[in-house]
Amino acid sequence: MTEALLQVKNLVKFFPIKRGVFRKTVGWIKAVDDISFEVYKGETVGLVGESGCGKTTTALTILRLEEPLKGQIIFEGKDLSKIKKSEMRKERKNMQIIFQDPYSSLDPRMKVKDIIAEGMLTHNLFKNTRERYKRVGELLERVGIPAEYMDRFSHEFSGGQRQRIGIARALALEPKIIMCDEAVSALDVSIRSQIINLLKDLQEEYNLTYLFIAHDLSVIKYISDRVIVMYLGKIIEIADKREFFSNTLHPYAQALISAVPVPNPDYKKERIILSGDVPSPADPPAGCRFHPRCAKARKICAEVEPELKEVKEGHFCACHFCAE
Amino acid sequence: MLSYIIRRLLLLPIILLGVTFLIFCLFSLLSPMERLATYVHDPATLKNPQSVQRLIDKYHLDDPFPLGYINWIKRIIHFDLGWSQTANQPVWEAITQRFPATLELVLYSIIPVVLVGIWLGVISAVHHNDMLDQTIRVTAIVGWSLPTFIFGLLILFIFYGILEWFPPGRLSTWAQNILYTSPDFRSYTHLITIDALLNGNIPMFLDALRHLIAPILTLSYISWAELLRITRSSMLDTLRKDYIRTARAKGVDEHTVIHLHARKNALIPVVTVAGMQIIGMLGGVVITETIFNYPGLGFWVASSAQQLDYSSVISFALLFATLMVLGNLIVDISYALIDPRVRLE
Repeated sequence: MTEALLQVKNLVKFFPIKRGVFRKTVGWIKAVDDISFEVYKGETVGLVGESGCGKTTTALTILRLEEPLKGQIIFEGKDLSKIKKSEMRKERKNMQIIFQDPYSSLDPRMKVKDIIAEGMLTHNLFKNTRERYKRVGELLERVGIPAEYMDRFSHEFSGGQRQRIGIARALALEPKIIMCDEAVSALDVSIRSQIINLLKDLQEEYNLTYLFIAHDLSVIKYISDRVIVMYLGKIIEIADKREFFSNTLHPYAQALISAVPVPNPDYKKERIILSGDVPSPADPPAGCRFHPRCAKARKICAEVEPELKEVKEGHFCACHFCAE
Repeated sequence: MLSYIIRRLLLLPIILLGVTFLIFCLFSLLSPMERLATYVHDPATLKNPQSVQRLIDKYHLDDPFPLGYINWIKRIIHFDLGWSQTANQPVWEAITQRFPATLELVLYSIIPVVLVGIWLGVISAVHHNDMLDQTIRVTAIVGWSLPTFIFGLLILFIFYGILEWFPPGRLSTWAQNILYTSPDFRSYTHLITIDALLNGNIPMFLDALRHLIAPILTLSYISWAELLRITRSSMLDTLRKDYIRTARAKGVDEHTVIHLHARKNALIPVVTVAGMQIIGMLGGVVITETIFNYPGLGFWVASSAQQLDYSSVISFALLFATLMVLGNLIVDISYALIDPRVRLE
């Protein structure tokens, strides 16, 4: 856990807002605004936040499925943000993604075996078609789908099975890191735990690193080693899982944790109810982006944007008062 | 799948029965004497009341409606569609004689409709919102909103009236002479371009093509413009799908992403529209052939309508309905062939 596999430095991704006849750019959606973090080899980093806070954009920008505006993406010592698209295509072998919606992430006109084998073919992983399909069969068996189903189309499978196919597809390239973009959010609870356990087993088996994006803290608590919390395109807290859940520092993260249901009807806990909506990422509030909804906000919060400071070893927080 | 096709084909007679019933209702609005006109070969017959009555009896023209309908159907089944005053020959003969010309026009028009419509649609979507896309879209909207009879007249005016590039008709006089009088010229398909090639007569092939270009331009513009718009929006929709991102994440190159993953999926709804457009072109031939004096079914039926030649018009409607039903069946079958999610049962 010492070597950083992936380093994200000052990553910025804005989307232009275009209006009018000539589609002039009138503003920017600040989806990801100057974030930095590291992912170490073999760990699972949980990335949490409300919808629209830039979690998915972060993953897509790291993979350069969206072009970053600024910043560096250093993967195994190589800066991916500057290399050419053709070079990036070769790098994709090492970084894969599992999407949220298992219904739309598989090409409906391709057989499952071709969906899984296409990446191998692109990266010349096997000599001939027979060997490729043999490997496809092994992968399918590994994720819990009988190999003889490989000739079927994706619509013939259930949601959970489709997500397993999506995992097999990502594994096919033997990647070093997999971004799980809300990979289990669309599944129902019983299937969700099966898929999470499968991901955990695969991590041990293939020595994988995960960047696990979710909005469900109980999932994050189960699977992650470290947690990153995002709010409106900014990282507000990074900590070890244990540290994070026992000693939450940022008021927003505290509110998130207080919202997690506890499976005990007698347990009465105090919930922190956030007032107001998430401000628009096109026009984030000045100072601390969370201050309009923060119970602890003071004058400084509206004026100065807090930096992400290391409060304890390995525990970062972006709040003016997190040391208190 | 096979049982589906058979069941659909079994439905065909029922649909045609409905169509013929409607057509016969129109037909029955005419008095027996008026309907008689379609069976009169020689105007002299009309001067003799006895022979008129004989014809009325022969064709059961004053039968009550249900009996008349059954008898009419019986005649239709035997291809006895009546006499075409306009063509001065039996209607069935008139149809078979003119059908190849129309078929040739429609077949050639499919090429720009499918190629230009789909090809430009894909390009337009890939270059979403830039200059190329805007230009293509404006061209398509103009084609889509310009009525065929105005666009056709413009084409005729520019390319025949001013430039004299594309003359109207189907063949020049010298080529017609070869076609109808030369003993060496054999008609295999009655499609002149193909027959000319089979006979090794290149000048005649080029002449036929020269006559075809203007009608093709006119007939296809509205169809490819519509197809382009459908292809473009379907393609834009598909390009936003997760599986396109998945393909990119695999490291597949952009060309494969666009043409294998996106286009293949985007074309599924396009096929339905393309099929309907091609069938719809059969209706477009009426105006196009009239403008360009092109001797096909459309030209004939337009003049028949003007001369109240009912038997010709009704037979054309019947033929058109049959082609429409068969065309729709082909569209449905091809839909099932290209989309694995659709099963015809």
